[in-house]
Amino acid sequence: MAEIQVTKQFQREVKRRPKVEDFKNTAKLFFKNKFAFAGFVITVIYFLLALLDEVYPSYLGVSSYSSLLSFQVSYSSVLPLPPTFDKGWWYYMGTTQLGSYKFALFPSVLGALKFDMGYSLIIVLAGAAIGVILGTFSATYGKYLDEVLMRVTDVFFSLPYLIIALAFIFILGRYLIYVVYALIIVWWPIYARLARGQSLYVKSTKFVEAAYAAGSSRIRTVFSHILPNVLSPVFIQLSLDIGSIVQIFAALDYLGVSVSPYIDELGNIISLGQTYLSVGVWWPIVLPGIFLLIFTVSVNMMGDGLRDVLDPRLRR
Amino acid sequence: MEFKYFVIRRLLLIIPTFLGLVLLVFLIMRSFPTAQLVAAYINRKLAIPVSVQIQMAKAQLGLDYPVPVQYFYYIGALFRGDWGTMNLQNYYTGPVLQGIAYFFPNTIQLAIFATILSVLIALPLGTYIGSRPNSVSDQAGRIFSLTGYAMPAFWLGLLLQIGLGRGVISGNPVGVFPISFPYSVNLINFLNPPAWINTSLGISYPTHIMLFDALIHGDFPLAFSALMHLVLPVLTLTYGILAGLLRFIRAGMVDSSNQEYVKTARSKGVPEKVIIKRHIRKNGLIPTLTVVGLLFASLLGGVVLIEDVFNYKGLGLLALNSVLDSSIYGVAGTTLVFGLILMVTNLVVDILYALYDPRIRY
Repeated sequence: MAEIQVTKQFQREVKRRPKVEDFKNTAKLFFKNKFAFAGFVITVIYFLLALLDEVYPSYLGVSSYSSLLSFQVSYSSVLPLPPTFDKGWWYYMGTTQLGSYKFALFPSVLGALKFDMGYSLIIVLAGAAIGVILGTFSATYGKYLDEVLMRVTDVFFSLPYLIIALAFIFILGRYLIYVVYALIIVWWPIYARLARGQSLYVKSTKFVEAAYAAGSSRIRTVFSHILPNVLSPVFIQLSLDIGSIVQIFAALDYLGVSVSPYIDELGNIISLGQTYLSVGVWWPIVLPGIFLLIFTVSVNMMGDGLRDVLDPRLRR
Repeated sequence: MEFKYFVIRRLLLIIPTFLGLVLLVFLIMRSFPTAQLVAAYINRKLAIPVSVQIQMAKAQLGLDYPVPVQYFYYIGALFRGDWGTMNLQNYYTGPVLQGIAYFFPNTIQLAIFATILSVLIALPLGTYIGSRPNSVSDQAGRIFSLTGYAMPAFWLGLLLQIGLGRGVISGNPVGVFPISFPYSVNLINFLNPPAWINTSLGISYPTHIMLFDALIHGDFPLAFSALMHLVLPVLTLTYGILAGLLRFIRAGMVDSSNQEYVKTARSKGVPEKVIIKRHIRKNGLIPTLTVVGLLFASLLGGVVLIEDVFNYKGLGLLALNSVLDSSIYGVAGTTLVFGLILMVTNLVVDILYALYDPRIRY
């Protein structure tokens, strides 16, 4: 009796063990990499800050331009005030200025970070979802769908992404939400290519053949056998892309393609600070950019680490 | 396969890509109502009544036909050189093709200088780093390329303006480089400008690149100012591609230094310098060649930002201003030109690739 119980427990253990062990090993390998670990920690801090600002806005102060606008600091100087440590944490980064309105840079940068990260996450996730589904299905169902999809992605790859994004913003209209839509349109072909390539490889493996032989329908095979194996490279690409999407999003707003000037967004804040560049006011440009740079660098470090760990071909 | 046939096949493959590109641009245009497409062809100062002009423009663009037929009319118009007209405030007004011809050379100048500079830096540096994996210099190079990869191009441009720009921070000893426009406007006598400069458009003849035109016409102060104006935008562009190049050259070098032929060469007693140069680097550069097209694409995307930051009148600023001033033909034309540049780049890269590595042709 006891023997049977032990065997059952052992069977359960065996069933459970590979996944847990695998995850543990992966995590251990990932955190061993100092670069990846630092990137992961900084990214988590950024997301926690954004979450804090979203859930409990009064803790960090103001989080939107429109409320910042009513907040005038002082008229002692015509120029933005330099960073100071005397007046409390709001003024650690000095102020920037829109017309005659001055407002503190630190809280507005924190608000802008939330905004930037939220939208880039939406763009990357939506692009990945569309791309992965289209790519996987075109690889499995093949023929005409595949051919059409590849030609469409070819056209997208034959243009610089910023140019296509500008063209689509032009078609859709110059509003912030359309910038998001345009970036989703620009970004899905990357994932479609990636998922297609990976699922073509997975399709030829023995276990998919076995699934078909066991009577699994095509749609079931796609969802329960092919898709899970496609996701790992997509996940790596996704973690790398958040960094570049934040950049491009900020860049498009810096160029002024979305008409409203009252957007709490890093590119917009930098472009606002540029007004006073010629008189030597550097902090409204340099300090928000440093926040952006640290985020993109840490996301890239994290993505590189993930790729080293998750890509079995690179694991030695 | 012989090299000749490879080139012919690759040249034929351009046709579907070109048709797809034109289709995308055509769809961008056709997503606007017909009235807006016709509007660019109407001139109220002419003696011909507007209704007749509308009919003429519709006939010229083939707008009375179904949309698929219009596509072929559009291709025909493109080949005839009729790319529509654009009206950009404070920038340029006139035919799109003429505007592209005016401002394109400036962009090409930026791109070529940046490419040359980054290759000149990346080749020796990548060789040095790639032959010493996991050393201190390798880690430094890794951080350098990681930062370059993650650096927002427009912010880097602004940083360089602050640090090296003339007159931004008072008393800055290295702040000698001008921060805006392709040349110093005050070097030109506006009341009596030379015949080879169009002061209202800000362009020069015959090459439209101020550096070369000033040299041709013997105006050396202006040529020097054009050169100085190039420094900051080119540095900004260079950093971005340099990071990518360095990363790929390093990866290729490390990959090929683990190959068997390297061991053979070592056991034969070939000097280490020759191994690195002939055996490792020559093979390590192959993966880099494949991404040159992609890097050039990112360079062209970056051009839009850099030209905006430095107010450098070029194709990128033309594209941006077309979007900001809602010029349909402007957006269509500039998008098409960017696509064509990239198409030609990819063609050249593929052919170079086949020349460099004969295995690819099969």
